[in-house]
Amino acid sequence: MAWLIHASGIKVEMSMQAPSVKFVSQRRRMWNTFLRNRVAVLGLWLVIAVVLLAIGAPWIAAKDPLIQDPKNRLSAPGIEYLLGQDTFGRDIFARLLYAAHISLVVGLCSVLLGGTLGVTLGLIAGYSGGKIENLIMRLVDVLMAFPSLLLGITVLAVLGSGIEKMILAIGIMLSPAFARVVHGNTLSLKEREFVEAARCIGARQVRILRIHILPNILGDILVLGSLWTASAIRIEANLSFIGLGISPPTPTWGNMIREGSVHLLNAPWLSVFPGLAILVTVLAFNLLGDGLRDVFDPRLQL
Amino acid sequence: MKHKFILLAILTIVLVGVACTAAPTPAPTAAPPTAAPKPTDAPKPTEAPKPTQAPQPTAAAKPTDAPKPTEAPKPTVAPTQPPAARSGGVLRIAQNATDLNNLDPHYATTTQDRSIVDMVFNALVRYKPGDGSVFEPDLATELPEPKIVGGKQEWTFNLRKGAMCQPTDGVPAYELTSEDVVYSLTKSANKDRSAYAGDYTGMTFEAVNPSTVKITLDNPISKNLFYPRVSNYSGGFIVCKKAAEKLGADKMKTMPVGTGPFMFKSYTAQDKIVLVANDSYFRGKPQLDGVEVRFMADLTSRELGLRGGQLDVINGAPDKAWVDKMKPVQNVQVDVFGVGEVATMYFNLNIPPMDKLPVRQAIAYALSRDEFLAFVGPTIGENVYSVVPAKFLAGGLTEQEAKAKGLDFTTDLAKAKKLLADAGYPNGFNLKLVTSEMTGYKVLYESLQAQLAKIGIKADVQVIDHTSFHNTIRQDANALVVYIAWRPNADAYLTRFLHSDSIIITGKKPDTNFVHYNKIDKLIDQARVELDATKQVDLWKQAQIQVLEDMVAFPIQYQNQVYARAKTVDYGHDLKSVLALYPGVDEKTKFVK
Repeated sequence: MAWLIHASGIKVEMSMQAPSVKFVSQRRRMWNTFLRNRVAVLGLWLVIAVVLLAIGAPWIAAKDPLIQDPKNRLSAPGIEYLLGQDTFGRDIFARLLYAAHISLVVGLCSVLLGGTLGVTLGLIAGYSGGKIENLIMRLVDVLMAFPSLLLGITVLAVLGSGIEKMILAIGIMLSPAFARVVHGNTLSLKEREFVEAARCIGARQVRILRIHILPNILGDILVLGSLWTASAIRIEANLSFIGLGISPPTPTWGNMIREGSVHLLNAPWLSVFPGLAILVTVLAFNLLGDGLRDVFDPRLQL
Repeated sequence: MKHKFILLAILTIVLVGVACTAAPTPAPTAAPPTAAPKPTDAPKPTEAPKPTQAPQPTAAAKPTDAPKPTEAPKPTVAPTQPPAARSGGVLRIAQNATDLNNLDPHYATTTQDRSIVDMVFNALVRYKPGDGSVFEPDLATELPEPKIVGGKQEWTFNLRKGAMCQPTDGVPAYELTSEDVVYSLTKSANKDRSAYAGDYTGMTFEAVNPSTVKITLDNPISKNLFYPRVSNYSGGFIVCKKAAEKLGADKMKTMPVGTGPFMFKSYTAQDKIVLVANDSYFRGKPQLDGVEVRFMADLTSRELGLRGGQLDVINGAPDKAWVDKMKPVQNVQVDVFGVGEVATMYFNLNIPPMDKLPVRQAIAYALSRDEFLAFVGPTIGENVYSVVPAKFLAGGLTEQEAKAKGLDFTTDLAKAKKLLADAGYPNGFNLKLVTSEMTGYKVLYESLQAQLAKIGIKADVQVIDHTSFHNTIRQDANALVVYIAWRPNADAYLTRFLHSDSIIITGKKPDTNFVHYNKIDKLIDQARVELDATKQVDLWKQAQIQVLEDMVAFPIQYQNQVYARAKTVDYGHDLKSVLALYPGVDEKTKFVK
């Protein structure tokens, strides 16, 4: 027996007998689309694994990530220290897990901050038009023209280091990208009939943006958010690598790579494992983002 | 998507494999781009000697309006040693720095600057190459003895013949005279033209005749304190008057002109400075054709450059792990030598609760010198028990002397916690500290942070760049200041770190008294003018006992210098201790097969 799914969400049974129609909810249909993309599912599992490892770090890691053991510096991976010991004799495995926590917090919070800021600006600019749109979008142009890493360095150089400042710096870096995407979508949606209808019955501007426009661009924002989370984690690692990140002894993947770079030739495990962690996490969020894009792409929903 | 998946799998396998397999002596085939010299820039070390370039010391000087460096006039007087055939080659040294700072020798304070001016300039007196404990004449013909005339102390120097000032644009080579020496020392004593003016307070300089210089001191001092002031270190370097006046202060920062074995050829900002042999050098023609000093702040890049043969000498890391890694490398020789820079932790009495003695003592008892030393390695450094390192300088306290007085502060966490509780901090307290990004400092501050945590003191350590670190700690930012430094004698250590004149911000001559301490001024001043060496040393020791009793400074360790070189490099002297903190390159340095 074969089934045909109509674009409207109605599942039609194809058989020699009289056709029977089965309704499939939009949410279910999107979930099915996602599950069909095996690479995206792998990305999701990897993200879940990283999140669980980060949350469970205090229970999974047998050693304290801050305890120094100067007599056993640079020990190679072994049974007691799974991934070896760093320049201060600290357990690399424990530091890797605790650093995952920092990376995820920075990645997700900075995307949340950048997303909130960028979406708000994009909605206002797109819906208001005129001088306000010009002002906001030129500001976005200026921010986008500025190299993102340089922008991050400038913000951190002014504010100093620290996790909250790092989130602020990366959030500011990401906001223009959100604003631009949301602005474009809002421009297109505000001319649609359902928005005009809302305007005709006297709906207020904030309500139109909140009830009618925002839900329609949420898919794009989610896709962008997951992709930018990967970028935020990478940017955090970059900033930590150049010494502008979180203060010692708190581990981050970036500062672990930086500390290991001096011993790259004699103790490569110091840098390689955090490098791998970044690679896997960034790839996981990118795969997840790709999968979400497929889910929200109407051309792939049949 | 499938491609991404396969790529991920391959990458993961390769990286895990690399991580789990240590590669103790890889042989990189190429140095990083910044280290790669142009083929024409760097003659091979094995280049054949050029007997035709042997010096002709009796040839008359032929000054020209704009002589090229390689066409320097010959000395009019025979060199002190017979000339040898030149081995040739350009020695390529990489220093741990992004750029030079100031090559006016009277402003040269960083290792990269000192290492360059050491090759270009001379002084009246010099430390024996490779051994900073012995003085010998340099531009002077002998080491003078002082005379007391009318209550003032006079030192008379006779200048050697044939010491030629190197030519520079518009100033041909000429023989150095007493006029140059007086000009240079007067410049050193001028606080507007020298960073070391304080060392020359109360001194007057006189050119008795073209080859004789008399230095008069209002307050007599011992030889131990006088010779360093006229030696090849800091303000003692002699600049050539005509060149200095022609170049001016700005050009002197990057164009050093002196009388030394090498002379300036070119400088590329944030890259390198090129020196060429000064064939008119009074000790004879240098064995090398020239020296290139490259500025490479990244240790891995320097290491790869040396392993790949693009560099001949590199500044290593004061870390046993690094030394152990480099020792087995074929054709590489690792040198660990003095003088050892001393790391001491100073308590800032202006920042509570460091104003309380029990808190300072608690911190001292919480710290373990052995734990600090483990990060450096016992072959690189050693524990010290006074601000002045007894290993290198008269006036320091040995471990036995400190123990005898009960001032060695051996680690005792229980005692530390009790002292802290008695002072009103049973649960410890929070501190904010800044550290330099430089490995030497960062390691000590992070170890300090971990050790303080054992008695409940939580230190928030911010990492900042090295220049900002130096500025910040001089603005009263750190309650605890770990400082790594070398000073040429006990007087310099005690005056600059613990005399009230040197108190940061508010002192008469603000320097590095981070403590805001003023209780040993009298002892330092008495020791400075004490002519009896034994009594002088006693006064310095008394001062340091007082410092430990007040626990305003916790001496941690000294760290020797670590350099690595190609085995083809022969410095021309043994390495025992070098004040300029680099191996010392002179006319005898050469390449050997």
